Amino acid sequence: MENRKVSRPSILRIPAVQTVIASLLCVLAGLLIGFIVLLLINPGGATEAMGTIISNFMSFKKAAKQISNFGNTLVKTVPLLMCSLSVLFSYKVGLFNIGAAGQYVAGIGVGLFFAHGLNAPWWICMIMAMLAGAALGAISGLLKATRNVNEVISGIMLNWICLYLVNMLLAPYMDIKMNETFALKVTHPAAVIPESPLFGSLLNGHKYTTIAVELAILIAVGIWILMTKTKLGYELRATGLNKYAARYSGMRDGFNIILTMAISGGLAGLGASMFYLTDMIKWPMAVTSVPAMGFNGIAAAFLGGLHPLGAIFSSFFIQHITDGGSFMEKIYPSEIAGFISAIIIYMCAFVLLIKQQLGKARMRRVTEKKGGEAK
Amino acid sequence: MTLLIQYTLLFASVLMLVALGGCFSEHSGVINIGLEGIMVFGALGGALALRYLPDGSAAVIVILASVLAAMAAGILYSMLLAVAAINFKADQTLVGTAMNLMGVAAATVLVKALNTAENPNNPSATIAYGSARKSFLIAEGMEFSWLTLLAVVLLVLAWFVLYKTKFGLRLQSCGEHPQAAASVGISVYKMRYAGVMISGALGGLGGLVYITAAVSEWKFENGVAGFGFLALAVMIFGAWKPFRIALAALLFGLFRSLSNVYTGFPFLEQLNLPGTVYNMMPYIISLIVLILFSKNSAAPKAEGIPYDQGSR
Amino acid sequence: MENGHTSEYAIEMLHITKRFPGIIANDDVTIQLRHGEIHALLGENGAGKSTLMSVLFGLYQAEEGTIKKDGKEVKILSPNDANDLGIGMVHQHFKLVECFTVLDNIILGNEPTNKLGVLNKAEARKKIIALSEKYGLQVDPDAKIQDITVGMQQRTEILKMLYRDNEILIFDEPTAVLTPQEINELMQIMKNLAAEGKSILFISHKLAEIMAVADRCTVLRKGKYIGTVNTADVTMEELSAMMVGRNVSFHVAKGEQHLGDVILKIENMTVASKVHKNNAVRNVSLEVRAGEIVCIAGIDGNGQSEFVHGLTGLEPLVSGKITLLGKDITKLPIRKRSVMGMSHIPEDRHKHGLVLDYSLENNIVLQRYFEPFFDKAGFLRKKNIRQYAEKLIEQYDVRSGQGPVTLARSMSGGNQQKAIIAREIDRNPSLLVAVQPTRGLDIGAIEYIHKQIVAQRDAGKAVLLVSLEMDEVLDVSDRILVMYEGEIVGQLDPKTTTPEEMGLYMSGAKREEV
Repeated sequence: MENRKVSRPSILRIPAVQTVIASLLCVLAGLLIGFIVLLLINPGGATEAMGTIISNFMSFKKAAKQISNFGNTLVKTVPLLMCSLSVLFSYKVGLFNIGAAGQYVAGIGVGLFFAHGLNAPWWICMIMAMLAGAALGAISGLLKATRNVNEVISGIMLNWICLYLVNMLLAPYMDIKMNETFALKVTHPAAVIPESPLFGSLLNGHKYTTIAVELAILIAVGIWILMTKTKLGYELRATGLNKYAARYSGMRDGFNIILTMAISGGLAGLGASMFYLTDMIKWPMAVTSVPAMGFNGIAAAFLGGLHPLGAIFSSFFIQHITDGGSFMEKIYPSEIAGFISAIIIYMCAFVLLIKQQLGKARMRRVTEKKGGEAK
Repeated sequence: MTLLIQYTLLFASVLMLVALGGCFSEHSGVINIGLEGIMVFGALGGALALRYLPDGSAAVIVILASVLAAMAAGILYSMLLAVAAINFKADQTLVGTAMNLMGVAAATVLVKALNTAENPNNPSATIAYGSARKSFLIAEGMEFSWLTLLAVVLLVLAWFVLYKTKFGLRLQSCGEHPQAAASVGISVYKMRYAGVMISGALGGLGGLVYITAAVSEWKFENGVAGFGFLALAVMIFGAWKPFRIALAALLFGLFRSLSNVYTGFPFLEQLNLPGTVYNMMPYIISLIVLILFSKNSAAPKAEGIPYDQGSR
Repeated sequence: MENGHTSEYAIEMLHITKRFPGIIANDDVTIQLRHGEIHALLGENGAGKSTLMSVLFGLYQAEEGTIKKDGKEVKILSPNDANDLGIGMVHQHFKLVECFTVLDNIILGNEPTNKLGVLNKAEARKKIIALSEKYGLQVDPDAKIQDITVGMQQRTEILKMLYRDNEILIFDEPTAVLTPQEINELMQIMKNLAAEGKSILFISHKLAEIMAVADRCTVLRKGKYIGTVNTADVTMEELSAMMVGRNVSFHVAKGEQHLGDVILKIENMTVASKVHKNNAVRNVSLEVRAGEIVCIAGIDGNGQSEFVHGLTGLEPLVSGKITLLGKDITKLPIRKRSVMGMSHIPEDRHKHGLVLDYSLENNIVLQRYFEPFFDKAGFLRKKNIRQYAEKLIEQYDVRSGQGPVTLARSMSGGNQQKAIIAREIDRNPSLLVAVQPTRGLDIGAIEYIHKQIVAQRDAGKAVLLVSLEMDEVLDVSDRILVMYEGEIVGQLDPKTTTPEEMGLYMSGAKREEV
């Protein structure tokens, strides 16, 4: 039986367009539900609060304030983008890298350790942070490939183990007065990432905008090229889509799984250093829970349609509303932004399945009914 | 020593309840990664009940009300997984992760809102239920809770339902071979809903037990510190069988309690390990367990695969 | 009417039409089952037999048509309804829960319980043992399904129906997984059941069996009803013509054989089994020369899959040696064997053969993407890939909706297989390993694929064919090796052997030292 489908020119049939529309719908759903919750908390200021979330830095009146808050959001978008790349890269290969949060923490720990403890220049700190994340990712990959350990659960366990280890690692470098690590610009200025020539001037010399921003975008493009145009990308995607066929073809699927997780881990670890080495944020003493950045990366990854370039926009958006959430009136808890992000992930799960169902419907149409077949 | 036993029993009860819940869900064929979120919600339900019950209520009422509230909250929250996974056939891991993130955020938002509504100067996400909590204790001054007994009763009930009743047989068939179940007229959808709702009830109850363990108030922004995932490891270690889960829960509970009580043991003190090592122990043990037991997994064969009536 | 029946027919399905998106599976089909009759439903793959029976069993609902039981019109909306009407079905892929016992599987859905829902297995056990003895269906109620033979599994399925007092029994391709001995046993069981008043419908595409056991036969072709005949009044050739609509040449034209050097030599190969403690392949030795097609024949599950996996590198050997073109490849990884000249058309095209979510062109280069022509410094050379894919599509007549960029998933099974064959043959392998290459395909595709395989042989290549289809084995091969329980138990000449003789070897009743 032949495929009698005639390709229709409707724009709605292009998968990319479908993904964008689906992502927008998820966002709307998240914002709507968030808005309802705000209404329930305090109807009076709800609209204004929602407005603040959506407009973030633009809610400020003075241009200088606007720019400085935009800069803040931009700086925080960088680690989020890296974490989302980490998640989407491994997802394309069929693995759910929830351990991105722990790889992120490992990056913080090792990066700051090299800065404070070994007085290393920023680029060494970054490379070591990346390697730390990669090592952690590789462990999850190894466990999956050799012992069939579910990478979600091993990821969570490693997240917590890492958290405690990093607390121990950075304990000697704590500024007792501030209850956090010392400010790099004061103690180890060589470890601070150089200022971004492009964004720095645009943003009136915003204190923390570094070349990390350009670097992150370049990396996103690089990941996209890796996935679509290289032999490695071909192998990794094949392994994720059908590991049996990959094995049949002679691809080393165990090795590829470990490599993929290592790359994912490296992205998250690198992202951590790209944030903490701007000196905008320090590591507090005795942190009790894994930082949210790794988990928000999941939201950004799916919202961006699991595409590296889409992730650039979705990461900015998620960070945008997260920061906006912090500017609301105090009666509204700032966690609402996290809540909205989580709803977006939930909605994205439906988006994925809609795409799957469309694919299956096409297949059912033309595949023969095989009377004697094992499924 | 008594402290160690008390803590072990408490943590073991939590892990066992939640793991049993996960077990029912997975036996029906739905992977429930969202146990953390369910625990938080159940804890919230129970805490609210404790908070708003009039002071001096009879112990029986306190226990009953909070347990039922916790279970109800858990069941309600688990519907998010049920609808998405069963009716819409969404990716169960993704939905579960979203539920975990949503759970803590939603609970924090809710509690903060409630607190600020009562007192605008109190934007905290804490619920205090000090006096009501005493009703849980079997004897004044000792930290043995009625809830632990309840957990044991539920354990036996779970075993019985799973292996000795019609419901249990049908439930398991849905997780192993849903097409076979459907061919004899069993409604796979209904069974899976039941499985997920049971996991909601047990998970919610587990959440309640967790937050009332030895403390009189709970900061909801802390979530449940990864206990939902530890419970998953317990479930895998227990090979999806109730009594083995109980033993696994005891083991994990023991390690978890060590970080609270190691100062009371001279020989442990002498090892001079930093406190953080004890904090890490449960997670390290989990990892080791997973490494040893994931290879020849006895997991229900059809779990995680959405059931599609059209497929034969 | 006799026996209190109000109609001559136990079941009538009248003018049934069932549509799926893009295809009419049943087009105005009528079938009438008499009481106590064994009625066969014959057709090729895709004829609509399984669909029709699924409608009867309540798994699907027909868009048009009516169903009558004993003359009265009924609505069957689910397997529960079917069961209430006394209709039971043994599916081709058993619907048994592997980790449950035989007993649990039989009672599932019809469990005897007390008022609280607690199972009462003792009562069920008594009834099952009684049924088992009455109809000669030997089973062990406490054995787990994963531990028993396929024959016993099938008997469990039959007991499921009898336990529910089903009067109308549907069998879907029941003999596909049985040895010739077990097939005879099943035929006898069906006759016993009919003698006791049960009415039986069975789906098959095996003419010999239908002639042996059925009273009447209804033929479907491409969803349409062709006719109903008494098996006593027709020949196999006539039935076959009804089934395919033309006089089929069952034979592929083969050139004269020119045997060359030994291409493949296997010595004492042993491969472990994943499902039981014994080895799946035991001490197998064989040779394949250039210019010959050697076929490994046997019932499914006798080690053929493991043998191929060991040969191609998907599984490690416990012991033994494999030599290809004079070189020892026993320890070589899959990629190296492939590059050396071994092509593999896998048993399961969806599992091993294709990445369904990749495009056709990406699948076509699945075995060659790393070669310099397709890969430059780690980057894929998309233009070359496209060119190569177009060449193969043209040459091997692979049809798809959008050419090279078509998603493999949306292609038909026949064209998916053609794509795999194009890929594997175009590499010009010294040894072509083809496992079940025509499984699930229609006559046209089968003819085409047989032609390609014979072309390889005529061009002086070595072909190792693994097949479960008697016709294919006898028609295509030059030499037959029968595999039973992991060992080669006989070497036969297709020109002189018969299906009966092959059956004896395949079921372990006969063996010779090879």
